Amino acid sequence: MRFSLIQRSRGSVAISKALLVLFLAQILSGSMCAAFADQAPQPDPAGTATGDKNSVSDAAGNPFMVPKPTDTTSPDYARNKKAFDEFQAQAAREPLALKLADGVGHDRIGSNFSWTLLTGYLVLFMQAGFALLTCGLVRKKNAAHLMMLNFTAYVFAFLAYYAVGYAFQFGAIAVNASPANIGGAPTLNHFLIGGGQWGFLGGKGFFLTGPAYDAGSNCLTLFEVVFMETAGYIIVGAICERITFWAFLLCELFIGGLLYPISGCWVWGGGWLSQLGLSMHLGHGYVDFAGSSVVHSVGGFCAMALALILGPRLFKYGPDGKPRAFPASNIVFVVTGTFVLLFGWMGFNPGSTLGATDLRIAVVAVNTNLAAVAGSAAAMLLWYRLFGKPDITMACNGMLAGLVAITAPCAFVSPTASVIIGVVAGVLVCLGVLFNERILKIDDPCGAISVHGYCGWLGAVSLGIFADGTYGVGWNGVGAAAYLGKTGQGVTGLLHGDWSQFVVQLGGATLLAIYAFGATFVVFKAVNAWRSMRVSKEVELEGLDVPEFGMLGYPEDAVQMLSAGSQSPQRAV
Amino acid sequence: MKRIDAVIRPSQLDEVKQRVNALGITGLTVSEVRGFGRQKGHTETYRGSEYTVDFLPKIFVTIAVAEDLVEPVVEAIIEGARTGVIGDGKIFVSSLDDVIRIRTGERGPGAI
Repeated sequence: MRFSLIQRSRGSVAISKALLVLFLAQILSGSMCAAFADQAPQPDPAGTATGDKNSVSDAAGNPFMVPKPTDTTSPDYARNKKAFDEFQAQAAREPLALKLADGVGHDRIGSNFSWTLLTGYLVLFMQAGFALLTCGLVRKKNAAHLMMLNFTAYVFAFLAYYAVGYAFQFGAIAVNASPANIGGAPTLNHFLIGGGQWGFLGGKGFFLTGPAYDAGSNCLTLFEVVFMETAGYIIVGAICERITFWAFLLCELFIGGLLYPISGCWVWGGGWLSQLGLSMHLGHGYVDFAGSSVVHSVGGFCAMALALILGPRLFKYGPDGKPRAFPASNIVFVVTGTFVLLFGWMGFNPGSTLGATDLRIAVVAVNTNLAAVAGSAAAMLLWYRLFGKPDITMACNGMLAGLVAITAPCAFVSPTASVIIGVVAGVLVCLGVLFNERILKIDDPCGAISVHGYCGWLGAVSLGIFADGTYGVGWNGVGAAAYLGKTGQGVTGLLHGDWSQFVVQLGGATLLAIYAFGATFVVFKAVNAWRSMRVSKEVELEGLDVPEFGMLGYPEDAVQMLSAGSQSPQRAV
Repeated sequence: MKRIDAVIRPSQLDEVKQRVNALGITGLTVSEVRGFGRQKGHTETYRGSEYTVDFLPKIFVTIAVAEDLVEPVVEAIIEGARTGVIGDGKIFVSSLDDVIRIRTGERGPGAI
């Protein structure tokens, strides 16, 4: 034990050295950037230069300001030049209008900031839901362990995301995916790997310094960090009751600093997957509105790899290979946690417009709720039919499955399509839980792999089927003037005439799943070979609370919980 | 002096208490216990896997009485605890060597 303590402290010295080097490199590159900064956009930490007349637009997103055409060879040059000249003449006659527009633009950005930050706070509250849900689903002897995992996930993944994750994911967002609703973040404009339409990794804003020390950018940071945390929480449900605390910290640093930001860059940071529409003429490129795949299936498949490496909990499978039940210890927590998550999802999906001036938020909110109830109803009734009683925990999993699946398509589909997607997810989550438990024999105490992994993949694919073209005009730079021969046609799926969108959704979602599983498996197989990530048999039998953290979640139950082979207290039905 | 122990359904405790009280007994102790009888619990499914609920929650009632009250108390417990369905419980009657009231040191039937 003593030896391992020394080893551990050596490891932490190495980590802090690496951090120091990174930090110095960041400072150096920052000063070099400053030396070359002639006309480069400047960050605006005070927020006093964010939002002016250039941010004003009408309900359809047409800007108030008419830009000066620069491309003289364009066939539209004459028309654009005329429009520009007319606008200039008009503006010269009414100088007050431009001043007013400055105020309107600032208010527009202000309202979008408010919306984005408030919905971000809702997503933050989802962490409480995850904590309740997962704690309720496991045995009482591991209650403190579960709470500590959920708690430290927030702490350590956040720090990793602050140090490098945000820069990897959004360091080049201004190149292809400028978030106009919150001021555009124009200073985050450099790919570390790749460039143009083939960006693989963002490269500005490490430690939130320089370009990332900016009001608009920080608005995005707050909103996006809680999304990353969601992926970080998902793994808890699959690896709990047997993982050591140090290994869990490594998992969270890995997710917050590398795994999530890299694929997040591909889809949301203006990276290559999002640009496939322009580069390969595949629909609107890979589209994931709020993260069925970017957040949930990446988290879910990462969890799958970890659960596979750790192996099932002791006695989960009998000598005959049949799975045994370890009943949930607190159904009150499970149901409350699920409702907290549903509430938080009202930030997750509608908030992903990054602005209240995008009125599609109402449709998004309704779609999200509909898929949630449809998923829950499907799971509940299917279980009722299969096993004679509707399992409460599966009804909750069904609701989360519907939510996960609607997260990608929520802005692009109709309410009826949302119900269909929810029902399919509700069925898939049940089959997924049984498949994992009985056939793959991967022990997933809370169903995280099925809920987030399988249903996340389903959600991203369903976008490619059900998107009806009513929203997302010009998404990822595709078809701003017209798409499929129609003006005002947005992201369109298979059923509405764009098979290429389905192809890119199917390919992209599958690729992200393989990426998350593969990268996690390789990294943590190596970690596990170096030192077992799993607690000892004795610790697992006793429950992880005391051996790992020195205290029980419920000390008043000590006698009952610490008796040999204790399971959750069983209650009469 | 006799000691009467009864294992009953938690739901029947009030019924039993009221009936026994009406007989004028002077003390009754209950504890929450778990156990199984001939029925050996029952199986349920949790997320698709079967498990056995073999220790069912019961209430364990202990009453010390003088000889003449044994039959009326047993009758009262049966009346209060019986539902007619498997799992109604059992009553154990045993002889009691001595009873001591801790506060006064009194011994024997007077201490009951």
